[in-house]
Amino acid sequence: MATEEHELVVPIKADVDIVMARQRARNLVSSLHFSSSELTLIATAISEIARNIVSYAGEGEIVLQLAARDRRRGLVIIARDRGPGIADVERAMQDGFSTSKGLGLGLPGSKRLMDEFELVSEPGKGTIVTMVKWER
Amino acid sequence: MAGKNAAGEVLSATEPRSGTEMTDQELFRRKQFLQFDDGDEENLKSINELARRYAQSVIDDFYEHLLSFEDTATFFSDPATLEHVKNAQQQYFLRLTQGNYDLAYAKDRLRIGAVHERVGLPVKAYLGMYNFYLRAVANRLAEAYASDPQKSWTAFLSLMKLTFLDIGLAIDTYIDSSEQTIREQREAIQELPTPVLPFRDGMLLVPVIGLISGERARQLTEQLLMAIRNNRAKAVVIDVTGVQAVDSRVANHIVQTVEAARLMGATAIIAGVSPEIAQTMVTLGIDLGRMMTVGDLQSGIEEADKLAGYSLMRMRDRGGPS
Amino acid sequence: MRASILKQHHVLIASVQGSMSDADLAALRDELVSGVQRHRATGVIVDVAMLDVLDSFAARTLRGITQMVKLLGAECVVVGIQPDVAFSMVQLGLTLEGAATALDLEDGLALLKSRNRGNALDGD
Repeated sequence: MATEEHELVVPIKADVDIVMARQRARNLVSSLHFSSSELTLIATAISEIARNIVSYAGEGEIVLQLAARDRRRGLVIIARDRGPGIADVERAMQDGFSTSKGLGLGLPGSKRLMDEFELVSEPGKGTIVTMVKWER
Repeated sequence: MAGKNAAGEVLSATEPRSGTEMTDQELFRRKQFLQFDDGDEENLKSINELARRYAQSVIDDFYEHLLSFEDTATFFSDPATLEHVKNAQQQYFLRLTQGNYDLAYAKDRLRIGAVHERVGLPVKAYLGMYNFYLRAVANRLAEAYASDPQKSWTAFLSLMKLTFLDIGLAIDTYIDSSEQTIREQREAIQELPTPVLPFRDGMLLVPVIGLISGERARQLTEQLLMAIRNNRAKAVVIDVTGVQAVDSRVANHIVQTVEAARLMGATAIIAGVSPEIAQTMVTLGIDLGRMMTVGDLQSGIEEADKLAGYSLMRMRDRGGPS
Repeated sequence: MRASILKQHHVLIASVQGSMSDADLAALRDELVSGVQRHRATGVIVDVAMLDVLDSFAARTLRGITQMVKLLGAECVVVGIQPDVAFSMVQLGLTLEGAATALDLEDGLALLKSRNRGNALDGD
């Protein structure tokens, strides 16, 4: 899916790392053809899933990879943690338009911002969120 | 259409752009339907020698006929084109009696049909050509086989089957082609960009026509948000009079656009919501509470005027220009 | 802390610079809220024009500021949300419900002035 030299790992331990992850992603995709609004969508999605790591797992990492498929290039974002995991994935993915606390918008919202979104979680073991944004 | 164009098109003719999918199976079915079998193929091959002799004169007569009509003559006003087309026509006439009416043959017929369609040759000219040809050949056959009328008759029937196979293929390319044109035009209409029009200081008008969805919807929102910033817009009238139907995606998109405009400090007014759209939006559970909606564009502009602090009055109501 | 707070007459103007961490935003909220009381401000403007991302935490913080300022008897306006950011916010489902918004500082000040017509702001 991605070549090794286009991979970045950003450790997430505190809220300042969220900003770091956003900036690293912006730098990484500078050679791709993303519009400024797409860059904002990407940065926002990273912010959301990175914050989930800080809030619920304490620490983890965000892996950023450049990918290519059918002559289109894209950015793969993987958020990994060894936190408590999500017991009810389906509920976590439900839209929380009305709730302003907790997981509310983070996961379903990020899914809307990206082209691909996958959530794998095992209670007690951790959570892996994989998201992809492709060039148009 | 001018003859020069026709020549250029004929020379550059490549694959048909039509969607007719010709396969061995399809060709077999068509032949079966016309009851065209190996016997017909033999009948046709048996008159090949004769066809060589009459081809040139039949074609000359045919083009003389074509050129006597103004609307068809315009296609062949250029002598070089005429020469080229006559040569191609002769090859074709001879091909009819050379047997081997396989997939390659059918595909070639489709290709020729597409070329004629592209240069705009009317179907009536196409059909007229076959009719002229069949009559001319019938006469030649009758003369050549005067002592064996049965022979000329069976050969003619086989030729008629084959020409009807060809006509079928040609007409299909015409139909495919016009369907393709309709598809392209429909797509073009769908992709028409929606303009964002500044119509008074601090006010924008967005007339939405047709369906907005997917990429086009996204572009519209981005364009509108940029225009709000660049025009320092306080009020945006989104006129949806030209929107016939709304699904949940379109409705959500309208709501999102209104919300995004508000985040930037502008008020969006939705004008021209039809009873059908209103019903759909309520049924879909779209929250209209935060949206300002009015029945028509005029009310929308009046609301926008109020928001931007304008008031409109007739000159004579002010007592005329002083 | 990457935000600066200016006082103009009875309005506090906070300009947010570039990327803000959660802690930065929380600190800004605290300072604004105490500032309203200390300066007896009637209006607060939070200028987020320089903010590259406005995620759910930032949106929640802004709403918090708006509500707290209101409880203290003043008005708050969030100004300068950029087109890309606004687009991203609505995609995420963030609408800053209840918060007044304006295009930029100038419009924000005008909005506060119109809302406080007859109040202390007339002094300028």
